[in-house]
Amino acid sequence: MNDYFISANDFDAFVSKMASERNVIGPVAKKTKFVYGKIQTNKDLRLDFDVTILPPKKVFTPTCQTLVTFDGSKFEGAVDKQPVVLFGVHFYDIKGLDMTDLLFSENNRDENYMAKRKAATVIGSSVQNVSKRAFWGSVGANVAPKGHDGFITKIGAGYHYQSLTQKGEALVGYGNFKPATEGQAEEARTVNVSMMSKCPEALKHSSEAIAKKVRDSFKNQELWANLSEDCFSCGSCNTTCPTCYCFDVQDKWNLNQVSGMRNRYWDSCLTEDFAKVSLGAGAEENFRETRGERFRHRFMRKAAYLNEKLGGPACVGCGRCSAACTADIADPVNVIKKIMEV
Amino acid sequence: MALTIDYSKVAPEGNIFLPRECKITHVKQVTKTERHFTLRHADNSKVKFNPGQILEVSLFGFGEIPLGYASSPTRENTFDIVIRTVGRVSTALNKLSEGDSLYVRGPLGSGFPLNELQNQNILVVAGGIGLCPTRSMIQYITDRRNEFKNFTLFYGARDPSQQMFHEDIAKWKAAKDVDYHEIVDKTDGKWTGNVGVITELFKKTTITPDTRVIICGPPIMFRFVIAECDKIGISRNNVYVDLERRMKCGVGKCGHCQINDNYVCVDGPVFRYSDIQNLEEAL
Amino acid sequence: MSKPKVAFFDFTCCEGCQIELTNYGDSAFLELLNHIEIVEFREAMTEKADHIDIAFVEGSFSREEDRARLEKIRQRASIVIAYGSCATSGGINAMKNDTNDYKQNVYGKDANMPHLDSQIALPVSAAIKVDYNVHGCPMDKYELLDIVSHLLHGKTPVIPNYPVCVECKRRETICRYDVGDHCMGQVARSGCGAPCPADGIPCEACRGFVDSPNEVALKKVLKEKGKLPERWAERKSKMFTANHRSDAKKLGV
Repeated sequence: MNDYFISANDFDAFVSKMASERNVIGPVAKKTKFVYGKIQTNKDLRLDFDVTILPPKKVFTPTCQTLVTFDGSKFEGAVDKQPVVLFGVHFYDIKGLDMTDLLFSENNRDENYMAKRKAATVIGSSVQNVSKRAFWGSVGANVAPKGHDGFITKIGAGYHYQSLTQKGEALVGYGNFKPATEGQAEEARTVNVSMMSKCPEALKHSSEAIAKKVRDSFKNQELWANLSEDCFSCGSCNTTCPTCYCFDVQDKWNLNQVSGMRNRYWDSCLTEDFAKVSLGAGAEENFRETRGERFRHRFMRKAAYLNEKLGGPACVGCGRCSAACTADIADPVNVIKKIMEV
Repeated sequence: MALTIDYSKVAPEGNIFLPRECKITHVKQVTKTERHFTLRHADNSKVKFNPGQILEVSLFGFGEIPLGYASSPTRENTFDIVIRTVGRVSTALNKLSEGDSLYVRGPLGSGFPLNELQNQNILVVAGGIGLCPTRSMIQYITDRRNEFKNFTLFYGARDPSQQMFHEDIAKWKAAKDVDYHEIVDKTDGKWTGNVGVITELFKKTTITPDTRVIICGPPIMFRFVIAECDKIGISRNNVYVDLERRMKCGVGKCGHCQINDNYVCVDGPVFRYSDIQNLEEAL
Repeated sequence: MSKPKVAFFDFTCCEGCQIELTNYGDSAFLELLNHIEIVEFREAMTEKADHIDIAFVEGSFSREEDRARLEKIRQRASIVIAYGSCATSGGINAMKNDTNDYKQNVYGKDANMPHLDSQIALPVSAAIKVDYNVHGCPMDKYELLDIVSHLLHGKTPVIPNYPVCVECKRRETICRYDVGDHCMGQVARSGCGAPCPADGIPCEACRGFVDSPNEVALKKVLKEKGKLPERWAERKSKMFTANHRSDAKKLGV
């Protein structure tokens, strides 16, 4: 909609004012890393973050989310519609949100995610620092981020802000924004374009070529067994992934043993019991029993299964899985390289 | 890939995780571990679903389990489910009595494609507890018998004590327009009927190559039954399999029931065999 | 329903789990008391009862003469729950299982006193049937509350079979390996909420291994990424999981 400029000093005042009037979540420091957390003043907001430990989807579907509360025979839904400003999302994570938006809204619309999502204002941010395992410059290049309401880019003298929706435009009222000059808008474009080549890792093939090869390798059991030899089935790659959205559901009673809740928890298809079915009389069937089968399922989902629906791979190149895997076998760049070489 | 179904017509409206209360109007212990419940909506509204569709049945504090409807939507005031005591939720559900409430979400998923089955010869092959979800189709056929041509039903149980729906069986045996055959894996001494694997029943009657086949049973059973269908020359396009997975949400989100690209809970649980025959994780 | 009768027993252990139980110090424990009746609890009372609905057993089975006492508990109790690592896996006591000189090292000249006689340390389940395990050193009192809550409703408790990494990630703890440390969270059974790594301490797998731990990869990662020397990497998982390792000693071996 509109291009604005705000000076560095005015930006601090803007963030504090916005944080005092709205519920703002943004990247904050956690020791040596970053997480999405509550912004109280401008000092909390760390737009110089490289990547957050968990992706921003946790704002819309927390790691433990109550779906239904009950009290005896009475029960009600627990849909959270509280508005939130999610300020400072890198473009790759906006792409991740676009994907979970689609997956939670298609077919059976999931209000527990969508209500909060619809009530949110999402503001993208330029990447100021690149994380060590990022490869977003080379993945799903034809998939553009689209679910955000505005985008802020750090440029020489301050910040360029582009509002994209009414919700994004509304934030302008909290600060001393001025219309951006063509030069400032151009500088912002240059900053964002030049970042695209700064990732330390890169995929060497097109999404289509990768999807085909990964699918064609489905029955190559030796390949998957080798790739997953050191896998702990710990689920770290899934749990940190911005496009993973599987969950488990468990009921819990409160201490009074009468009321309680039905919660969903982020789950992971890499863990051993994910596809296990009880058949009765102690018998079980595990439809993905081996590490190799589970490892394969993850790559099928990231590189092939959802591509048609999403318009590209279910991977945004954030590198969180690569960094989270202690055995260092989860990095899609390395794994796909090996698959392509077979 | 999924069988044609209009999700907008079957999806629960609003909060997909909010169940509806149902009252138990009748409950019967059918085997040592299985109980047969007849339920009505607590608000007495009509029951609408497709044969073969599923529902999530729950008790608060215990959780939810996916089950198939075990009765036909032609009986619109009540519906049936059969619960086998397997885990936390089913154990708690099987302690309920007449008049108690339980909570359901559904109908979910795709059912049997009625338009492809009507005016055709039908064979239903049900093994063990696989008779429960297929009973929704069997009952539909017997209720609207003139909408279908020859109807053959094969039912296999582990032993005579595992047989369910005795009243139904008596009716099927008596009915001239139901070609019913049954078998048990192991006899108890008193059993005078067929003993062996379910595929033995193919020798007892004639199944024509144009027959539409519905299969539901333990994972091992599918392959053998499909091999028999192949021998007869039945197209795999005309074979429908009703699969079971660990569905946590029933609405295509949680990922637990995924087989390759397919979510059993929304793309299934009924699949055309030709669509999934190459999926290693399916059977 | 009448309140279930609950009793607590201890075997080879530090009784730390019982202490942990009395540490609720908040409304949670009092609320729990509305639903159960404690009939035997050495750390807090002296009375005893004949029938027990739920018996909590702490400590490992490390002396043959304890077998009779355990069997007696099993006879009296409808449900037996092993709680704390010693009871569920043999715990830290099992560190001695592959040594021969521990008595001399610990007791010196008194090493051969008859009351110090013991066999290898094993979980309670090596002597009697155990219905449920509450893992951890010490066990997590809130998990115990949760398990009791399940049992009050006749529901089998949910004990996770995924590793501690899942819980670290959910709470966005910085991985110990990212700060140059080591950790065993990849193979450790979760359910504790991963408090140790959050406090900057490596996970020692006090709750035991998950069902299928990748022991080979663990050793490799401890060495290559955790920078532990070969011998440490090899022995690291003996602290709490000696009885879960593929080279675990069995009774009479």
